[in-house]
Amino acid sequence: MNSLLRRFLMVEWSGILAAIILGSALLAWLSPAFLTEFNIYVMLRSFCVALLVGFAQMVTLAVGQMNISVGALGGLVAVLAGGMMEKLGVPMILAIPAAIAIGALCGLLNGVLTERTGINGFIITLATASAFTGINLGITQSIPFYNMPPGLVAFGSDRFFAFPYLMIAPIIATILLGLFLSRTVPGRHLLAVGGNPHAAELSGISRGRITILAHTLSGTLAACAAILAVAQLGSAQPTIGSDWLLLSFAAPIIGGAALTGGHVSVLGTTLAVILIALIENGMVLAKVDPYWVQFVLGALILAAVWLNRWRAVKTGTD
Amino acid sequence: MADVPVNFFHRQSHMTDETISTERSRRGFFAGASAQIGLFAIVALLWVIFSTLAPGFTSPINLFGIGRSLAVDIVIGFSQMVVLATGGMNLAVGSIGVCAVMLTGFLLQDAGMPIPVALAGGLLLGGALGWLNGFAIVKTGVNAFIITLASASLFLGAMLILSKAVPYNTLPPEVGQFGRMRIWGYVSPLLFIAIAIGAALYVLYRHTLLGRQILAAGANPRAAEMSGVPVGRVIIISHTLSGLLAATAGIMLVARLGAAMPSVGGEDWLLPSFLGPVLGGTLLAGGSVAVIGTMIGAALVTTIRSGLLVLQVGNFWLQLFLGLILLAAVMADRYRGVFLERRSLGRK
Repeated sequence: MNSLLRRFLMVEWSGILAAIILGSALLAWLSPAFLTEFNIYVMLRSFCVALLVGFAQMVTLAVGQMNISVGALGGLVAVLAGGMMEKLGVPMILAIPAAIAIGALCGLLNGVLTERTGINGFIITLATASAFTGINLGITQSIPFYNMPPGLVAFGSDRFFAFPYLMIAPIIATILLGLFLSRTVPGRHLLAVGGNPHAAELSGISRGRITILAHTLSGTLAACAAILAVAQLGSAQPTIGSDWLLLSFAAPIIGGAALTGGHVSVLGTTLAVILIALIENGMVLAKVDPYWVQFVLGALILAAVWLNRWRAVKTGTD
Repeated sequence: MADVPVNFFHRQSHMTDETISTERSRRGFFAGASAQIGLFAIVALLWVIFSTLAPGFTSPINLFGIGRSLAVDIVIGFSQMVVLATGGMNLAVGSIGVCAVMLTGFLLQDAGMPIPVALAGGLLLGGALGWLNGFAIVKTGVNAFIITLASASLFLGAMLILSKAVPYNTLPPEVGQFGRMRIWGYVSPLLFIAIAIGAALYVLYRHTLLGRQILAAGANPRAAEMSGVPVGRVIIISHTLSGLLAATAGIMLVARLGAAMPSVGGEDWLLPSFLGPVLGGTLLAGGSVAVIGTMIGAALVTTIRSGLLVLQVGNFWLQLFLGLILLAAVMADRYRGVFLERRSLGRK
């Protein structure tokens, strides 16, 4: 095994980066519309919500948990924020933090239920997902809130050349999350618990607390994604989040996260979301049936897990 | 080690690592039996409540409707149960179901095949897609969750691309007639099919070598492998069976609706598929199944759905109820498990 290839393989996001560069070059060559300012803006805008959704799942994967309720939680937060602003007349400045706090609380609930009962996170969050969706539909009767404050709508649609202002939020989130996971004590504990729960517990880390922290963080990130989705759509739709489940797992896993916990990559997840946005954009430009997106996303996840597995075997980390 | 799937649920895997599968399944059986009696009591209570509040609840037409949807719910539950037995899961049940639905519709309407051939085609596709899941899980060693999440999207995407999401509405009239058929005035023949499948599964797990091997592989894959159980093959068989059952549920829906629609199945089946088995006492960690429990669990779901409909509570709140019931059930199960463990420790 020559060392250069070995080194290249060790960097898990190398393949995604290569795919992004190749894909963009190909699209730029094939479609003149690809490099237009408006198309780049559209792509970047669709990237914003997706990235936060990916992060929301990534933090639970970090501790070896999962959160099936990201989408349902996001949908609930979106309609609550919309309802507060439209029906109760709460100003945006108060309604948005309140809605994000509710998202954090829902995450906290997931964490506490998982930790206190010792039932695995899959079934707990499957159940809470159904409950959150039920509350969402019960409140809205499936009717969206259309009258959003103009400030929020402007934030979701205005741009500086190709740069959507919406993107400020995910950039801040990426930096904070990166620093949190690499530089802070709770962040390191999160990965330690995911990597080896026993060793972490023996070295004095409270596994329960960290699990709850991860779920709360996941809820907060999903809530932020929901607010961005409301800004982007210009209305609080009850269907927000209904298609997040696959995406939320696709991004971190393509980005190289280990499903067993302990290993996630902020950069990898970001690159994966860029790749997904690029593929979706390419399909729109090629006027392919929209159903292909679903097919390709599924294939991409399978390819990624296969590749990760192969890399683990090759580099001898398995 | 490569062909033994990684156990995803750390906490519960500790339990399976230390106990022997047969002892475990016996305890699971008793725990399951007490769960089933409790569950049955809840279903009975709900029937009393709903029929007092809404006299229409026990009308022949409503009973017929309940029976028809119950039949489908039971088979959907079974399709998840057979993989839960191995400690895995199948998030693609809904996608496989709808793929079988659309192929059957295509064979009947566009290809003009006779009904038995079309049914066999749908079932075969379901089994094949399930086999693919199992094969991918065993060969990559990646856990069932992520493989079936991805394949669910893959199958659904392929179905939509091929069918262009156009329903098959002009099926032979016999299909719809079978779905509308009533025995003794209010029982759907679909219910008998579901019960027959249940009986077959009961025999499989209780009385055959394969069934015991599946449970052993679910309870403790390493120990099972060492005692000569072909764990990989058993997992592939279970997933194939899951696909076959999902296809069966899909085809039952075709009969019920009298049409093959691309909107049935998909993610809508996810919650019901887990509700039945988990309420009925099937452990997510693998190594135990509750065939009768799954049927009663499905009955609870169907009863609540129909009851809320008759009471006109609105379908919107249904999801909330189902979520809360699932939470309550798993928690009750958890604490009963702790209680039983303490009691058995006390006896020692």
